[in-house]
Amino acid sequence: MDINGKIYKDFLNRNERFKVQNGPDKIKKQHDKGKLHARERIALLFDKDSFEELDAFVTSATPDTGFGKIDEAFGDGVVIGHGRINGRIVYVYSQDFTVMGGSLGAVHAKKILKVQELALRVGAPIIGLIDSGGARIQEGVASLAGYTSIFHNNIRSSGIIPQISVILGPAAGGAVYSPALTDFVFMTKKTSYMFLTGPDVVKEVLNEEVTFDELGGAETHARKSGVANFIYEDEENTLLGVKKLLSFFPSNNLENPPYVEPDTKRNDETDKLRLIVPDDPNKPYDVKKVIELITDQDSFYESSELFAPNIVTGFARLNGKAIGVIANQPKVLAGVIDIGSSNKAARFVRFCDAFNIPILVLEDVPGFLPGLDQEHNGIIKHGAKLLFAFSEATVPKVTVILRKAYGGAFCVMNSKNIGGDYNFAWPTAEIAVMGPEGAVSILHRKELKNTDDPKKMKKEFAARYRNEVANPYIADEKGYIDEVIDPAESRNKLITAFETLENKHVDQPSRKHGNIPL
Amino acid sequence: MMFSKSKKSKQKFIACTQKSKKYEFTNPKELYIKQGKENIPIEIISDKQGLVFIIWKKKKYLVDIIEKNQNQYEILVNGVSYPISVESPFSYKRRKYLAKNKEISKVERIQAPMPGKIVEFLVEENQEIKVGEPLLILEAMKMQNEIVSNIQGKINKINFHADDTVMKDDILIEVEK
Amino acid sequence: MKKIKSILIANRGEIAIRISETAKKMGVKTYGIKTSKEPGAYYLKFMDEIIDFTETISEIPEFLDIDRIIFAVKEYDIEAVHPGYGYLAENPYFAQKCIDEKIIFIGPTPDAIYKLGNKTIAKQLASAHNVPLLEGSSGNIKNVKHAKQLAHKIGYPIILKAASGGGGRGMRIVEKEEEIDKMFRLAQNEAEKSFSDPSVFMEKYVRNPRHIEFQILADHHGNIIHLGERECSIQRKHQKLIEESPSIALNDELRAKMGESAINIVKASKYRNAGTVEFLLDEAGDFYFMEMNTRIQVEHPVTEIVTGLDLIEWQIRIAQDEKLGIKQKDVKLNGWAIECRINAEDVQTGFTPFLGTIEQIQIARTKNVRFDTGVAEGSNVTASFDSMLAKLICYGDTREKAIQNSLNALSKLYIKGIKTTIPFCKAVLNNPKFKSGDISTSFIVKEMKQSFHQEEDEELIAAFWAALNHNIQLDIEDEKYVDYERGKSMTPWLMNKRLKSL
Repeated sequence: MDINGKIYKDFLNRNERFKVQNGPDKIKKQHDKGKLHARERIALLFDKDSFEELDAFVTSATPDTGFGKIDEAFGDGVVIGHGRINGRIVYVYSQDFTVMGGSLGAVHAKKILKVQELALRVGAPIIGLIDSGGARIQEGVASLAGYTSIFHNNIRSSGIIPQISVILGPAAGGAVYSPALTDFVFMTKKTSYMFLTGPDVVKEVLNEEVTFDELGGAETHARKSGVANFIYEDEENTLLGVKKLLSFFPSNNLENPPYVEPDTKRNDETDKLRLIVPDDPNKPYDVKKVIELITDQDSFYESSELFAPNIVTGFARLNGKAIGVIANQPKVLAGVIDIGSSNKAARFVRFCDAFNIPILVLEDVPGFLPGLDQEHNGIIKHGAKLLFAFSEATVPKVTVILRKAYGGAFCVMNSKNIGGDYNFAWPTAEIAVMGPEGAVSILHRKELKNTDDPKKMKKEFAARYRNEVANPYIADEKGYIDEVIDPAESRNKLITAFETLENKHVDQPSRKHGNIPL
Repeated sequence: MMFSKSKKSKQKFIACTQKSKKYEFTNPKELYIKQGKENIPIEIISDKQGLVFIIWKKKKYLVDIIEKNQNQYEILVNGVSYPISVESPFSYKRRKYLAKNKEISKVERIQAPMPGKIVEFLVEENQEIKVGEPLLILEAMKMQNEIVSNIQGKINKINFHADDTVMKDDILIEVEK
Repeated sequence: MKKIKSILIANRGEIAIRISETAKKMGVKTYGIKTSKEPGAYYLKFMDEIIDFTETISEIPEFLDIDRIIFAVKEYDIEAVHPGYGYLAENPYFAQKCIDEKIIFIGPTPDAIYKLGNKTIAKQLASAHNVPLLEGSSGNIKNVKHAKQLAHKIGYPIILKAASGGGGRGMRIVEKEEEIDKMFRLAQNEAEKSFSDPSVFMEKYVRNPRHIEFQILADHHGNIIHLGERECSIQRKHQKLIEESPSIALNDELRAKMGESAINIVKASKYRNAGTVEFLLDEAGDFYFMEMNTRIQVEHPVTEIVTGLDLIEWQIRIAQDEKLGIKQKDVKLNGWAIECRINAEDVQTGFTPFLGTIEQIQIARTKNVRFDTGVAEGSNVTASFDSMLAKLICYGDTREKAIQNSLNALSKLYIKGIKTTIPFCKAVLNNPKFKSGDISTSFIVKEMKQSFHQEEDEELIAAFWAALNHNIQLDIEDEKYVDYERGKSMTPWLMNKRLKSL
């Protein structure tokens, strides 16, 4: 080709027009709103010079509806492509708010479908960076159809490739379904929001005044609805979080998760594990301290931290290998299981199961949260959901009972009989049908009625019950616990346990899918 | 203190205080602080007991990170607490933008802190109330709890009556600020 | 006179350690109590033998459980009990129980504790024995009308105080007649809630007084001496924070007069052992008896340093019936001592208690520095006990030197892991009014612009430290190598099974 001839010159000119369209003024528009440009986000996420854009020059469909002039912008408001994150191939679509408000039209949707399709074909993760005004009204049903196809792809890929949604701007109306269908949702505080119906409609229909942030901002979704798993103060940190999360995932459901060399300079403070659980069973403690001491240094990454804090879910590494951790948190609501925590933990377990991430359960649960509110809202169903999720999971599952394990909650938290591979207990464990106080009220009802000091007697009986009936050695001797271990030994025992379970596979008779209570 | 030099060149960090005063540092790993035109070096000493000191301009400061949450730090220097958030040049601009455009919610919803029974309301609709003013008595867990207002405003709506049973987080009163 | 050979220390923290140190010096065996709230507490390391109270057998807190303590003393055949300060130290029933069970109570008689513990009776004693008192109610106030009448007679401002307790609770200052109705009710309610006794009495309110207290010692042979004064005017909400001995406001003449009043109270109440008489000193140089504390006090070290006496030792010696070998004329106050209380509190948020674990304590132990502490590396600061961690007591030939030595010691006192009142102490000691001795109980509120001391570039250093650590963290995350190949390789067993089942 003649590099001075027309053919090559036309090629270069087109690239110039492209650069102009995505010039500094567009970037400034986003910056002025406290947001990054769609391409800046991609640059932060991907390894240097590894991103390849696809369909950069497509233009919008041009239906002549007479509604308004449609910008002939390249790309139709979304940037798609692939690149490497920490060296691994990942697909992405990043909506561009500066082009037609990032709104979704037929071509925009087709681009997203393209990367979803490609990611599914090659078995690579896909990340959606959402920053969109929603459906492009001018394009009518075509926009809706576009969204629906995107949802369909989300569902087709669910459990096959990891899908992450990062909400970095508005996501309203039907658009919010896609994030809800993906595996994890990130949001940035104050400049992103998600809701089905916006504040203006709420005001009109219900006469309720709410702000965007109250209705569907990052904090709302992190704390109240549980839709957002990770929230950050600003976009850079959000994207760093995405990278961090990805480092725990395999590229697809046939692979095992990646490996990160543990920090060998770690001080061996595992004997501190002995000091964390107090002897007094009514005293709370922070189970995250246990997690931090057992897993690799600084490897724990908590998911849905602010939602249902009475259960802790997150990813961590043991000797470099990724695991999913589910732990009851005694310092919130005494660690009981309720509707919110059942749902949070169940979805987390199923994600780990889909992607071959072994599960570690740290148990200290006195039971389920009582009350009309819970019962009327179906704690039965939701608790059963968690039970189903644990039982169904065929990844390596190891439980360590730290303290309380009573009744139904004991069964639910990955007990041996629903498929726990190794079940350990600490000496402080109390395993029983119900808590000592409740048990003695029933067992010794007669004596308690006839005594002058029922309080004192109850305390004595409870102490005896704790010692003789609820101690972990009984369960150990019967085989429901594999071993009562020294807390300081936990890390080593768990590393060995998971190592031996690396080849685990459970044959199941084939079925379309189970019928998990929803 | 051992750490490797940055692979990235010229990393700028803007440390912000609560009063939005900012301090800019470029490549802090190079261990100097610029004052005027001079780069004055910093020395970091960590003793056997784990205490960390910074020596700068011949003065010794005890430093300790007492809390850290993403990019928000609470640093103790000589026992005095300084909340600092570390921003990049972009996130710093973003902070300024957000501070200017704060969405001010007009309605404050007073929610039940726990399930219980309403004993009585001490205020009525359209009444002007002050911070700390008692609004209602909620009986829960065998105790009578007085719920007070944490804002100033006018009562827009009272959603329940005396003797009603409420659940946690039920919206009891709406106040217009 | 039989020497005491064993003592049960019915207390915890720094005072338990303090008592055990003197006991050890005297060859006395010490017993300490272990509780379930802090089974690994630092003070237990200083006891010769530990008595285990970790089993919860009653609702009464361990250090207040009279029966349990008496039972333990008898079970272990211990001769004496030292109650420290707080807890049962000023409980006349406990003292009486000890006597009944033939246990030596290291402190005054139950009768003296009872009489002086009731402020109304104490005042009656004072007034009958030539000790100056603030004009006030003789006894408790019957009702609002009575309050109004009396206040009118004394003249506003007046202060209402709880008869059965202190520490600022049940206390209300009334500036004018319009307020007295409301304040009286509020004071009564608070007194009822805090001390189960709504009785309040009234006094004239002195503005900007100095809090001057006299340490006294009295043996069982009629010998009584005072060991000079302590000035405790640096208080916040009636909690002492910085104390010193002697006081710049006293000359020899005033000291002699106040000392004599202190001794009069001791005589009138037949007080024995160590105790402290508290006075208010107004700007005109007039002093008024407030109350007597029938125990060893937190701030006793400043007296020990300027007099050279070991007060705990004298407590034990008096309890074992020895005679005070010191005459009043022999008591000399040499130099100056200042004590800074180091509490686990966040000064910048209004002294809210700070809970956490002490990761490290480091102090430069030089000859003018004494550091009495109840905590060490690993100690937990919990809501179960008060927030005082330690006392830093510094000596100097003059007040200026004592202040300087205190500031030096504070700048080298490093406590890692929790927030403390060290910056507050520095702020007080750097304050010009404090330096000139121009202080009163309203010092903190009036003279301090900021309640904590800041060095010039601290904020800059904090900013740098945050930025540096953030930089390091980001780089670590960035340079982390994620090995995906490891995840792609698996054994034939697993690969086969996985493919088959999909």
